[in-house]
Amino acid sequence: MISFLGKFFINAAFLCSILAVIGYFLYSKKDRDQYFKVSNWLFGLQGLFLAVASGFLMYIILTHQFNFYYVYNYTSSDLQLKYLISAFWGGQEGSFMLWILVSTLLGFGLMKWTRKPFRGPVLFFLTLTQVFLLSMVVGISIGDFTLGASPFRSLAEAMPNAPFLQSNPDFVPQDGKGLNDLLKSPWMMIHPPILFVGFAMMTIPYCFAMAALWKQKYNEWVSPALPWTLGANVALLTAIFLGGYWAYVTLSFGGYWAWDPVENASFVPWLLGTAGIHTMIIQRKSSTSQKASILFAILAYVAIVYETFLTRSGVLADSSVHSFVDLGLYNQLVIFMAVVTLVGLGLFFYRYKELPSQQKESKFLSREFMTFAGAMILFLIGLVIILGTSSPIIGRLFVDNPTPPEVSFYNEWTMPLAMIAAIFTVLGQYLFWKKQNSETLANDLLWPVAIACVLTLASIIIGDVRNIYYMVYLLTAWFAVVGNGVIMIRLIRKNTMLIGGALSHVGFGILLLGILASSAYNENLLDQSMKNYNAAIERGEITDEQGFQKTQKVNFLELKLNQPKIIDDKYKVTYKGYTLRNQERPGQQQYMIKFEPADGEGEQFTLKPKVYPMLSSSSAGNIQWSVSPDVRTGWLSDIYLYVSGSAYVERRNEQAKEQAKERNQPVASTDEDTVTTQKITLGKGQTVAVGSYDLTFHSYGEIQNKKLQDSTMVAVQANLEVSPRGSDSSAPLSPIFSVYSKDGENWTYAPPVKFPGEKDASIQFSRVDPTNGDIELTIRGIEEKVEEEWVLLVAEEKPFISVVWLGTFLLMAGFSVSIFRHWGRERKKST
Amino acid sequence: MKPKLIIGIIAIVGFTSLLMYNFGNSISTYVNFEQASGMEGAHVVGTLDKSKDYGFSMKSKQLSFYMKDEAGNVRRVIYPKTKPNNFEEADKLVVIGKMENGVFYANEMLMKCPSKYNNNDGSQFQKASKSS
Repeated sequence: MISFLGKFFINAAFLCSILAVIGYFLYSKKDRDQYFKVSNWLFGLQGLFLAVASGFLMYIILTHQFNFYYVYNYTSSDLQLKYLISAFWGGQEGSFMLWILVSTLLGFGLMKWTRKPFRGPVLFFLTLTQVFLLSMVVGISIGDFTLGASPFRSLAEAMPNAPFLQSNPDFVPQDGKGLNDLLKSPWMMIHPPILFVGFAMMTIPYCFAMAALWKQKYNEWVSPALPWTLGANVALLTAIFLGGYWAYVTLSFGGYWAWDPVENASFVPWLLGTAGIHTMIIQRKSSTSQKASILFAILAYVAIVYETFLTRSGVLADSSVHSFVDLGLYNQLVIFMAVVTLVGLGLFFYRYKELPSQQKESKFLSREFMTFAGAMILFLIGLVIILGTSSPIIGRLFVDNPTPPEVSFYNEWTMPLAMIAAIFTVLGQYLFWKKQNSETLANDLLWPVAIACVLTLASIIIGDVRNIYYMVYLLTAWFAVVGNGVIMIRLIRKNTMLIGGALSHVGFGILLLGILASSAYNENLLDQSMKNYNAAIERGEITDEQGFQKTQKVNFLELKLNQPKIIDDKYKVTYKGYTLRNQERPGQQQYMIKFEPADGEGEQFTLKPKVYPMLSSSSAGNIQWSVSPDVRTGWLSDIYLYVSGSAYVERRNEQAKEQAKERNQPVASTDEDTVTTQKITLGKGQTVAVGSYDLTFHSYGEIQNKKLQDSTMVAVQANLEVSPRGSDSSAPLSPIFSVYSKDGENWTYAPPVKFPGEKDASIQFSRVDPTNGDIELTIRGIEEKVEEEWVLLVAEEKPFISVVWLGTFLLMAGFSVSIFRHWGRERKKST
Repeated sequence: MKPKLIIGIIAIVGFTSLLMYNFGNSISTYVNFEQASGMEGAHVVGTLDKSKDYGFSMKSKQLSFYMKDEAGNVRRVIYPKTKPNNFEEADKLVVIGKMENGVFYANEMLMKCPSKYNNNDGSQFQKASKSS
């Protein structure tokens, strides 16, 4: 029933959107208000139906209806509420729904606030994109062809070839596969929705540009489009930041940015949108760059659709860790992309001759030229990234079956472009607020250049920068910070609302500083013995167990329980053990790594990286472990570490392997004589190491409620405590030892008790030494060798990550100020 | 033609060709072990050879295993990190690094895992229903 209703409402929404498209088209052509009203109603209905369908989707997720493929595939009954809600956008179908929902809300805003003559065409194009997006989730089958993939597909519809479904089509699994463990993070609640807000908002400049072309009004569209474009940029930037922060603090990617196609997918539209903002601002001020504004507005959205295609069509399945798998939407996505691009660029070139072109060329030292050049640089950076991301497609020009480009490709191209951009931001800002010639400009820039030089010099000395390229880079970045900072201070005195641009540019400069510091000066934390080992590897002196030369450096920090190591004469690092208690995920261990200053003075802290089994992909004989790093954030540097291996994990793996082996070929119970048996003597209060356990004899205890033999003469109980070494969990044990008489002889009765945490091990209280009160324990099934408790860490010191975040926040703040300014001006105009 | 236009065209052509040239250099194609010798950053695709010993050594702090490439060559691969997740389950391994003295030193390793989303995948499914 729900399946039918869900599909019905999505189809109804789809139909309404098609009708609304026609309505808006007629309205744009004939300009009759009835058309507008009817279309708005249709658009509203579409939104309502979609909201109802989303409600159903949320309902089947929350009520665990595993007969639905979507619910089965992305949730399980043990998921917490917050992750159940996140599962709504955990898969492709749901994330399309979310995208359309946001887009619909924006549509209501556009309906209310957009004036004639743009509102008809703007809503026409917005609804057109919604038709395409809705077509991805309708799931209408016509013969062999299916349009879209419905989130309300049943299992049988989704997997027609699965044998168990062929035998029993009504089969409903008990539980779902669960959300991918990596996505079980609070960030999953917030990052995707904001990203889709950004995606949906970036449609709006496209719609306005198309409306301008349609209505042949090439100047007026910029003012209403500007705040929306700024908003889209803030949303995308926030989403990118959240994604980067998420990757940094909870995944072991080792950083906040990896040039992964999915990251690029949100970054390129941001770059193009920002380029568009620059040309729009200059167009509004001086009526130039009309062509560029329209083109960038179109391209920013084309980039969104293109990157959606790349990440959702399965093209990138080989080269990205986290792209979606093809749902059979490949052709639909191609058509969507083709329509958006061809209609956009087609109309642009159709009107090209009419588009105003500049009569007089701008001088080099003019705000028009500088701002336009800035936009071009952003565009070029975007182009480089698109090229890199498209390597599976474009790379075929060079080789068959191309690999993704090396990361250095991105860095080598974006760095110089960013450096030029940094210089242009300052020149642009100085020229933006005042007409200047080269002489006055040079005068004005004297101090900023001097201060930037001093700061660069200071950074070079403090940071021990040896690379000349980095020195120049630092100079440009500091120049951007200082130059824009000066402008910003001047503007604050005049009118704080004007500082948006200068503030964003200061943020950009700071971001550049942070990026260099955090990526080029990232250092592995290693103790001296490991450094010596690495030096020996470099000299070619080390061979491995099989006699091969070792050529690669080791970047692990190995710690034994409670044996501190000194790192760089700076930290004393100690592994203090692990805990299994109070953990968010079942089976998760939290390790305690204590950092103390090497000289004993100053603050100490404990980092708590985690390791947990990935339940969704583990099998009985093979546990898949995932790690979650811990980061100590500081103003100057972060300490970042994660657990690469530990004695506990090794033991668990062995256990799992053995259990799987036993399950496959059950052996008759092991012979007595193959079981390791050891006898240990222990005094009161003493602790002894047995295998991987610590065993403590606390005290003698009174025997309570235990079956003893009749005629027992002596009976004692030992209160023991067993604890896996390094962990803070322990179990009490109380074996007994008694002597009774039978047939005139003395017999001992001391039943073995099960050793906690081990399958076939036991412990027996086998003797008491009456002279000193020591006890003797016989332990069976535990390795005699005392196992060392160790942990293998990857630890890094990352300088100035905080500066990256600061730069990003300032960028967001700058854009936000601009939104208020432009929005406020627009509203004033309309009243 | 205005001189500015010509300069502009030259700049665009220059930029584009340099970009494409560099792009062409920074990508490569997947090769086998034989072809990888002498290459920096060679991408080799293959499967784990489970008949030979493999594993992470605590002493030399490296994972070593034998991989069979698509041409059937089996070579020892050394990876200076711990054994990644899904290592044994991976359909295919991609190792990125260089060949030296008959040993492949990988700096990076990617695993292509059996797709979780595969429509015909019944085995995983049965596990889920059995677990109740």
